[in-house]
Amino acid sequence: MTDITPNNSHNIPSGTVPDFIPPHRTEKQIKQRLKKRYRKERIFKAVGLGGLISGLLALTVMVTSILTTGLSGFTESRLTIDVYMDPEIIGSLEGYSTEDRIDHLRQVNHRALIRNSLRIKFPEVKSRRDIFALQKLVSSGSRDEVRQKLMKSDDVIGTTIPMDLLASSTVDMYLKGQISRDVDQSERKISDKQLAWLDIMASEGRIIKGFNWKFLSSGDSREPELAGIWGAAMGSFLTLLVTLAIAFPIGVSSALYLEEFAPRNKWTDLIEININNLAAVPSIIFGLLGLAIFLNVFNMPRSAPLVGGMTLALMTLPTIIISARAAIRAVPPSIRDAAIGMGASKIQTQFHHVLPLSMPGIMTGTIIGMAQALGETAPLLMIGMVAFIVDVPEGVMDAATALPVQIFLWADSPERGFMEKTSAAIIVLLIFLVLMNSLAIWMRHKFEKRW
Amino acid sequence: MDKAAVTTVQDLVQPTIRATNVNIYYDDTHAIKDVNLDIPPKAVTALIGPSGCGKSTFLRSINRMNDTIPSCRMTGQITLYGDDIYDKKIDVVQLRARVGMVFQKPNPFPKSIYDNVAYGPRIHGLANSDADLDNIVFNSLQKSGLWDEVKDRLDTPGTALSGGQRQRLCIARTIAINPEVILMDEPCSALDPIATAIIEELITELKERFTIVIVTHSMQQAARVSQKTAFFHLGKILEFGDTSEIFTNPKVEKTKDYITGRYG
Amino acid sequence: MNSILLIFVLIVIATTSFIVGRRRALHSVGGIIKDLHSLPNHYGWFSALAGFLPGLIIILIWIMFGGTLVDNITLAALGEEIRNLSDFDRTLYMNDIRNLAVQDAISRPVTETLKSAAQYYSRTQENIFWIFALSAIGISTVSAFFGIKKVSPELRSRNLLERLILYFLVVCSAIAILTTVGIVSSLIVVTLRFLEHVPLTDFLFGLKWSPQTALRPDQVGSSGSFGSIPLFAGTLLITLIALFIALPVGLLSAIYMTEFAKPKARAFFKPLLELLAGIPTVVYGFFAALVVAPAIRSSGEAIGLEIASESALAAGLVMGIMIIPLISSLSDDVISAVPQSLRDASYGLGATKTETILNIIIPSALPGIVSAFLLAASRAIGETMIVVMAAGMAANLTANPLEAVTTVTVQILALLTGDQEFDSAKTLSAFALGLALFAITLFLNFIALKIVRKYQEQYD
Repeated sequence: MTDITPNNSHNIPSGTVPDFIPPHRTEKQIKQRLKKRYRKERIFKAVGLGGLISGLLALTVMVTSILTTGLSGFTESRLTIDVYMDPEIIGSLEGYSTEDRIDHLRQVNHRALIRNSLRIKFPEVKSRRDIFALQKLVSSGSRDEVRQKLMKSDDVIGTTIPMDLLASSTVDMYLKGQISRDVDQSERKISDKQLAWLDIMASEGRIIKGFNWKFLSSGDSREPELAGIWGAAMGSFLTLLVTLAIAFPIGVSSALYLEEFAPRNKWTDLIEININNLAAVPSIIFGLLGLAIFLNVFNMPRSAPLVGGMTLALMTLPTIIISARAAIRAVPPSIRDAAIGMGASKIQTQFHHVLPLSMPGIMTGTIIGMAQALGETAPLLMIGMVAFIVDVPEGVMDAATALPVQIFLWADSPERGFMEKTSAAIIVLLIFLVLMNSLAIWMRHKFEKRW
Repeated sequence: MDKAAVTTVQDLVQPTIRATNVNIYYDDTHAIKDVNLDIPPKAVTALIGPSGCGKSTFLRSINRMNDTIPSCRMTGQITLYGDDIYDKKIDVVQLRARVGMVFQKPNPFPKSIYDNVAYGPRIHGLANSDADLDNIVFNSLQKSGLWDEVKDRLDTPGTALSGGQRQRLCIARTIAINPEVILMDEPCSALDPIATAIIEELITELKERFTIVIVTHSMQQAARVSQKTAFFHLGKILEFGDTSEIFTNPKVEKTKDYITGRYG
Repeated sequence: MNSILLIFVLIVIATTSFIVGRRRALHSVGGIIKDLHSLPNHYGWFSALAGFLPGLIIILIWIMFGGTLVDNITLAALGEEIRNLSDFDRTLYMNDIRNLAVQDAISRPVTETLKSAAQYYSRTQENIFWIFALSAIGISTVSAFFGIKKVSPELRSRNLLERLILYFLVVCSAIAILTTVGIVSSLIVVTLRFLEHVPLTDFLFGLKWSPQTALRPDQVGSSGSFGSIPLFAGTLLITLIALFIALPVGLLSAIYMTEFAKPKARAFFKPLLELLAGIPTVVYGFFAALVVAPAIRSSGEAIGLEIASESALAAGLVMGIMIIPLISSLSDDVISAVPQSLRDASYGLGATKTETILNIIIPSALPGIVSAFLLAASRAIGETMIVVMAAGMAANLTANPLEAVTTVTVQILALLTGDQEFDSAKTLSAFALGLALFAITLFLNFIALKIVRKYQEQYD
């Protein structure tokens, strides 16, 4: 094929020249040329497909790697242990009032109860070190389970009850196959002795796997096996609530003004350019804004969903404004003319006709904006929503963290047990995002009007 | 379908293009119904008819431009000098080099005037050297009557020309691949009367060398430039014959109504 | 009693006012609505807002300036020695008083002076709040009374309401501008303070970045260096790697989807690629740290290369994946915007699809593609989480993608998370970096949007 670069030194003949007769091409020459052109076509098409496939491949690799590491985060391991509610450790309850009894039972050395029960199970374990290692099989959170059992009814004192106690993260990971027993003991976190005990328990059917409800229902923890995302999810929810409450009315109002009322002048041009640029400002800059203005100038509380929500609201505003303007613009002028022709004022026309008709489009844009805000991390880190917080936040002024920040914190944490928790939290986050985006797509299809 | 009208022209000359029982559908719409038409060589054949009658669809089927529309299906046969152009052996790229097309809206590429004209020869490898290419560009521009207007600014973008000049550039671009047939889809509908007159004059000159099929909804234009006229109505050809005949003495009532402006 | 309760009281006043105003309007015309200028509800709203807005304004003043007012009164009551402290120490002292007042942890031992100051603070706060609260309620009631009195059949309450709504809309649309003003002013103010510590030339052209200022004056390297070149070099390196990945893949995907794929395939692939765009960056960051970085490291080891566990390559690669959908959807838009007539013209001349794409469509869409490229670059430069999790903290000045580098965003985050004192050059430098980042991305966006706008005009 001839090179298709512009030829600027044209050697154009002057005056009239005879007709140009194209050089003769035989049938074979034409065929050959065509073949070459089609080969190029095939190659180019393949390259294009290759581009598309490599993009999708990246998506696939990412999703599978997160699924494979994360799904195990939703299960937990438990060890069935016959817990002897030793009256000696619990102490006497003589002469206590009901309230005092419960208070006393709360403060019992539950750790010792578990330790003793384990020693009864493995009487050959004698040395302090071994006892310590033995106790390490169960999670430190298991004492809460014993405490609750005890506080529920004190009839159990003096009896032995089989309880499914939460295994420690190390044991859990070994049972999930993430720690191999084939390597030398010095290279794994679980010792040969511990493995032997586990083998015995396994042979007795004392190892149980179950769904990790705690992961969905509790707050953060230093122990991977106890950590949950409920706190972060609530933080995200409260933050988004604030974001929505601020960004939606302001976004729709400014879209309405810019699209329907604003005169075309320099000022509105400026607003328009400004909104477009704001949509592309890096999110971390919004974090700086939140830090400098909300925290340092207005002295608002650090780590609060209120401030996080306000910061994210400013960030989402351009998305909402742009989509709301598009939705409002899509309402045909004939509807406005009809309303105005009936004697409605301009504002009435907007609120009675234009806004209701454009609402599906506005909602779609809003949901997409909210999904963006839900996945945003950097600005929240800047305003301090990054602290280690165990309590589930109850209001917008409580210290809180958010799902993506929790993911960041866990990803950064050195305990290997947090790796599957990170992936599991990502799965939860992605489920929310997919739900939100599907809702947006569904709404767009459902309410899409062809005027 | 008035078969008698067709048979009379067939006897005159060997047709360049012959359409036999052509039917074209868009999804469920039956756009062209059983069209038979013979287009004579080195003459201008006009396709007229009310809008939506399928004349453009039929025109686009002659160089298989309809292939680019996924929902479009066709049955029947169209031959170019006896070759079935919908035959599997016919290469559509090659076909379009033989049957060029000028569109309703002047659509020069956003490239220089020179590159616009040189585009076709380059992709088809018609020039052996730069000098050949220069020659083709010069010839094409001259034949399209644009040479004198653009000879000093061959490197300016083709989009910078006026509407009429753009359309002549598009014609020059088509001439440059030396096709056998030129299809014109309402080439003047976007132009002012003066530019239209220039193009019509050009069409008259070009018919000496090319077979031209033109779709127009201006009956005056059809009368001025064409030798043959086919009247389309609701996807069918109601009447086909010599232009002078059709315009002075239409045989079909509908044609008469259309020509006299009863509807359109 | 707090602000929320106060607003509730105002709502009660407003509701009462609504009912009374509406009834008064109806009464004035003996129940014949058509004799009123506006609808009865308009009169109701008019009266309600007359009762609500003045009080709301006072509450807003309290929320925004009440704290500062209470601080200043408390400060004035404190001794000379406190007032003469440096700005920084005084702020700390006030913080402690405030925290003690709400029984929070404080940074110094609780002394009697501090305790009494905290008590004084609480008392003042309470008193001032009551002054605000009572005046809000009082003014609202009076204003509601006058509003209701004004209700008459001639009152054009609908027009007044609508003008109010319009003002509200104007204010809302100004918030976007205010946000930009807020960003620019806060960044500039803090940057100027930073430049008091570090000369501008050192910041812009310095080759060494180590922002640690010493805790004790006798420590080694007591003054940190704030040369931002390594940070920008690192940012540039990662951005280039990302674009090197994303541009061909994104552009080719867009071309394939717009020109080659059948509508059904397009309807399947396009949302899938958009899914990539919806994934939060923290997930990409985790993916980079979990999968990509170790993979690069081990493949490097296989061919005998020493690769840091955090490398520019890993961050750039994953960032490239992240911006593929951005480039492909923007290119998709501009390629689709190339008029069909140009495609027809090219096909009509007998060009193949490939020839049409390479010679006609891409050149025509080039401005749009360039602007997509610029937007993607701006996105990559401003991206934070991926680089934080995969690029590392070491401010190396290197062009080797296998080494760890750091970026502007990583440093901003590192400087500002954790405990901060708002006066050290270290903390302030984050804002200077932020300003530079903002300026660069703004410039890129501005140019990109300009190109797009010009391009759209071309085919309108």
